[in-house]
Amino acid sequence: MPARWTWTGRVLFLLLAVESLGELLDPCGSIVPEAPVVPLGANLTAVCVLKEQCMRDLHVRAEDIFWRTNHVAVPRRQYAVLNSTAASVTLAGLSLLSVQLTCNVRTFGQLDQNVYGVHVTAGLPPEKPENLSCIVPEGKRMTCQWDAGRETHLETNFTLKSEWATERFADCRARREAPTSCTVDYSPVYFVNLEVWVEAENALGRAVSAHLNFDPVDKVRPNPPHNLSVSSSEELSSILKLTWVNPSITSFMRLKYDIQYRTRGASAWTQIPPEDTASTRSSFTVQDLRPFTEHVFRVRCMKDDGRGYWSAWSEEASGTTCEDRPSKAPSFWYKTEQPLAHGSRSVRLLWKTLPPFEANGRILDYEVTLWRGKAAVQNYTVNDTRLTLNLTGDRYRATLTARNGVGRSDAATLTIPACDFQATRPVRDLKAFPKDDMLWVEWTAPGQPVTSYILEWCVLSDRAPCVPDWQQEAGTVHCTFLTGTLEESKCYLITVTPVYVDGPGLPQTTQAYLKQAPPSKGPTVRTKKVGKNEAVLEWDRLPVDVQNGFIRNYTIFYKTSAGNETAVHVDPSHTDYTLSSLTSDTLYMVRMAAYTDEGGKDGPEFTFTTPKFAQGEIEAIVVPVCLAFLLVTLLGVLFCFNKRDLIKKHIWPNVPDPSKSHIAQWSPHTPPRHNFSSKEQMCSDSSVTDVSIVEIEAGDRKPLPEDLKSLDLFRKDKASTEGHSSGIGGSSCLSSSRPSICSSEDSESARSTASAVQYSTVVHGGYRHQAPPAQAFSRSESTQPLLDSEERPEELPLSDALDGLPPGQPPFQQSGGPRLSGCGPGSPVREEDFLPDPAAQPPACGLGKAFPEALAAGALGPGLEGPIGGLEAVGVEAELDEGLPKSYLPQTVRRGGYMPQ
Amino acid sequence: MDLRAGDSWGIIACLCTVLWHLPAVPALNRTGDPGPGPSIQKTYDLTRYLEHQLRTLAGTYLNYLGPPFNEPDFNPPRLGAETLPRATVNLEVWRSLNDKLRLTQNYEAYSHLLCHLRGLNRQAAAAELRRSLAHFCTSLQGLLGSIAGVMAALGYPLPQPLPGAEPAWAPGPAHSDFLQKMDDFWLLKELQTWLWRSAKDFNRLKKKMQPPAAAVTLHLEAHGF
Repeated sequence: MPARWTWTGRVLFLLLAVESLGELLDPCGSIVPEAPVVPLGANLTAVCVLKEQCMRDLHVRAEDIFWRTNHVAVPRRQYAVLNSTAASVTLAGLSLLSVQLTCNVRTFGQLDQNVYGVHVTAGLPPEKPENLSCIVPEGKRMTCQWDAGRETHLETNFTLKSEWATERFADCRARREAPTSCTVDYSPVYFVNLEVWVEAENALGRAVSAHLNFDPVDKVRPNPPHNLSVSSSEELSSILKLTWVNPSITSFMRLKYDIQYRTRGASAWTQIPPEDTASTRSSFTVQDLRPFTEHVFRVRCMKDDGRGYWSAWSEEASGTTCEDRPSKAPSFWYKTEQPLAHGSRSVRLLWKTLPPFEANGRILDYEVTLWRGKAAVQNYTVNDTRLTLNLTGDRYRATLTARNGVGRSDAATLTIPACDFQATRPVRDLKAFPKDDMLWVEWTAPGQPVTSYILEWCVLSDRAPCVPDWQQEAGTVHCTFLTGTLEESKCYLITVTPVYVDGPGLPQTTQAYLKQAPPSKGPTVRTKKVGKNEAVLEWDRLPVDVQNGFIRNYTIFYKTSAGNETAVHVDPSHTDYTLSSLTSDTLYMVRMAAYTDEGGKDGPEFTFTTPKFAQGEIEAIVVPVCLAFLLVTLLGVLFCFNKRDLIKKHIWPNVPDPSKSHIAQWSPHTPPRHNFSSKEQMCSDSSVTDVSIVEIEAGDRKPLPEDLKSLDLFRKDKASTEGHSSGIGGSSCLSSSRPSICSSEDSESARSTASAVQYSTVVHGGYRHQAPPAQAFSRSESTQPLLDSEERPEELPLSDALDGLPPGQPPFQQSGGPRLSGCGPGSPVREEDFLPDPAAQPPACGLGKAFPEALAAGALGPGLEGPIGGLEAVGVEAELDEGLPKSYLPQTVRRGGYMPQ
Repeated sequence: MDLRAGDSWGIIACLCTVLWHLPAVPALNRTGDPGPGPSIQKTYDLTRYLEHQLRTLAGTYLNYLGPPFNEPDFNPPRLGAETLPRATVNLEVWRSLNDKLRLTQNYEAYSHLLCHLRGLNRQAAAAELRRSLAHFCTSLQGLLGSIAGVMAALGYPLPQPLPGAEPAWAPGPAHSDFLQKMDDFWLLKELQTWLWRSAKDFNRLKKKMQPPAAAVTLHLEAHGF
């Protein structure tokens, strides 16, 4: 079933296609003109003619015709009904190159039907071709070209036509892709005038160029000469002969030539004067060439009368001229290598190799002749360009010639002055500057005539030594450029030395750069001193190797971490700079740039912080404060000193000094004691009193036997006589600091004036005549640890003696008198050793039964008159008294002091 | 005497022509009709050019004919070439030719030779050779035109074409291939001889034309004064 449907479909399609094709083949009308081509901007009128059959079938009239251009309806005002079957349309000012114009009718039911369509093409007629010209390459066909003129937008044919007076040649149709030239397909006949012209034609018109009448031989471009060869002449070193083969056209046409040459490696060609080559030839001799130089030649030709075209250049050919003697003497200079020593000096003669255009050949060797005065000293033949000579201190003259295969150069002369020669007369106003990629040196000549100038130069560097290059200039030259290979960004040290007949003048030096560049490194800035509001920056000069140019200025950039950058320009001669108006206690970042003429380069950034205080500010505050404090202290001390009594009264109550107490001097004449003991005699020099102090310590139980013996003696003496002691026993005013008369049970003791005496001074003598009953003082009530241990060290066990004392505390250390062990001339008793210890005094160990005699003696205190006589009489006692103030322990009431009760 | 008379006539004719043209020459402007001089010079150059062309062509064509025709010393008798115009002429006769006759002889000779050459062209085989022959024919046609131009410039009428000559080469019925080649050989040889002669003819004419040119110059100078 589907196959059948398909077949039916095909039949239907075919029927429809045939029907529509029939309609197409037999349209309902037609448009005149059929394929209109109109000039751009012109008007077009087209007429649509309907067939009557169609009009009847469709029921339309000429009025029903309407037009469309490119599917857009044309306004009806442009229509015109010509008759019952025809209507026209006028399209004004066609601006489109291609327009589709259709004629349509509207049938019943507003059905539009296309009747006919044409394609309207717009364009421009061709312009007259201009500038027709033809060229006839030798042996080829003629080609002519022209300017086609404006674009026509239409297919335009260009035809080149040519004819003789008697004959016409075939047309040459320009190809579509190259419409402005055409090559004819016949060989032109020379010497017969030909007339050519171009016709341009398209649908809108035809244009013919001007006719060109010429002889093809006048449009010839000959083939270039070939087989060019160059030969040199042995006789003349400045000529080369060229030969070549002419193109075949010379058999009927005369030629002229253009010969060019250049030296090998050069780029510019030199032309032989045209008048020398204006006729047909096959060889030419070129003159005035440089000897021993390779030259390259080329040649071309054209018709001798100048009509036609130059041929292409021939292939190049080269030849070398023969050698000639060197045309110039070499540059000649010298250097003193070692100054005069031991009558000899070393001089190095230097010269330059001649450039090829002056050497005129291969230089074989150099001949140096040395003259002293008028006589030639020595001849040297050198292959090198230097010669070291050992000369005396005299003046010499050296001549130099260069030799090649043909001959010698002129001689260069150099005067080597004597050792004592003083160079003077330098050049003036020496300056060096770059120009045209060369380093020029300019100077003003000195007044005297100069033979020549020597220019020396070298790269100035810290890394490498100055290795000078040099060149010689004639004495008339005042400006030249350095001939060596110079580098950019290098500092050149240039020295110019004028050379006079009698020797060299004083050299002058300058510096220059071929081309400057920004420094390759910036200066490293650092602080030399930083103040509160200023900082002194310093930097090192840039080494010449990194300068790359003349440093024109420095710029210091500084800023705080948050602030704007400030720039300061500094003269390049400076190496330090003071930044002022800085803020204290601020971090600054500073960097520095060095500038040459070509730009600058920043150095590394450096940071520093300004201090909070200026230098000395702290000192300015602290010192006065300290001084003031000191003053106040001093004043306080002074005040205290002045008012010490008052203060003392308040702070330290007047404690009676027991050492100043006097029990009594009741025994003014104590019998001499020299019979007691020799030991006491020994100690008489010192201020040791009779009081012996025994240090009783835990680990030292052994009493000093001698002392004890003396004490023993003493005690016995006391005991035998009237041992007396300060009124201790029975005193009830021990702690009273004020002198007072205490009541005493004993009238005897009442006579003793001592008051508040805590302990006794045991003075032997005194009432030794009295014999108080020792039993009366069998026991002392004093709490003071009087010299009980001294009394009976061997009898009293330590535990008894120290009863009531805290363990380990030396019971008598502080109150003891001078130690006997230290007795001697070198052991003075110091007061400090006997500083009182009031706190220790009251609980001082009681005497117990140790000093019954002493207590008895105390109780039997001497009378008022007693002590004076006693002290005077008894030397030992006197000494004791003198030592008393220094001793605390045995407080004696001085005269006028407190008397013990 | 005839020859001299002819020469004199020629000179007189030349002088007359020049004198005739002189009034037409603007005194200080020579851009007008340059006279026959340039044409004669050009015709002379053309003969030289054709001579150069023929040298190449003959070499090729004789090689095409093969030996012995291409041998350098091949000098066959002139057989069956009577129809070709002879260039060789007695020197005295040649000298005595007047310009018109000289030009007429040249014109007629080249007309004939061209006809023969076109026949040669038809038989040639190689394409390159055919092209060379065609170009040579064209050049010869140019020479004829050039001569006609000179004759016209000098006021001579062109000779009438000979009846029967125009159909050109009619191959003889009894011509063998060798004889045909012989004819070709002689045609080329005669062409060369004619070109040599023409070169001399036009050189002579050229020289003749120079005195009037000098006269014109003198006249101009006189006029200038």
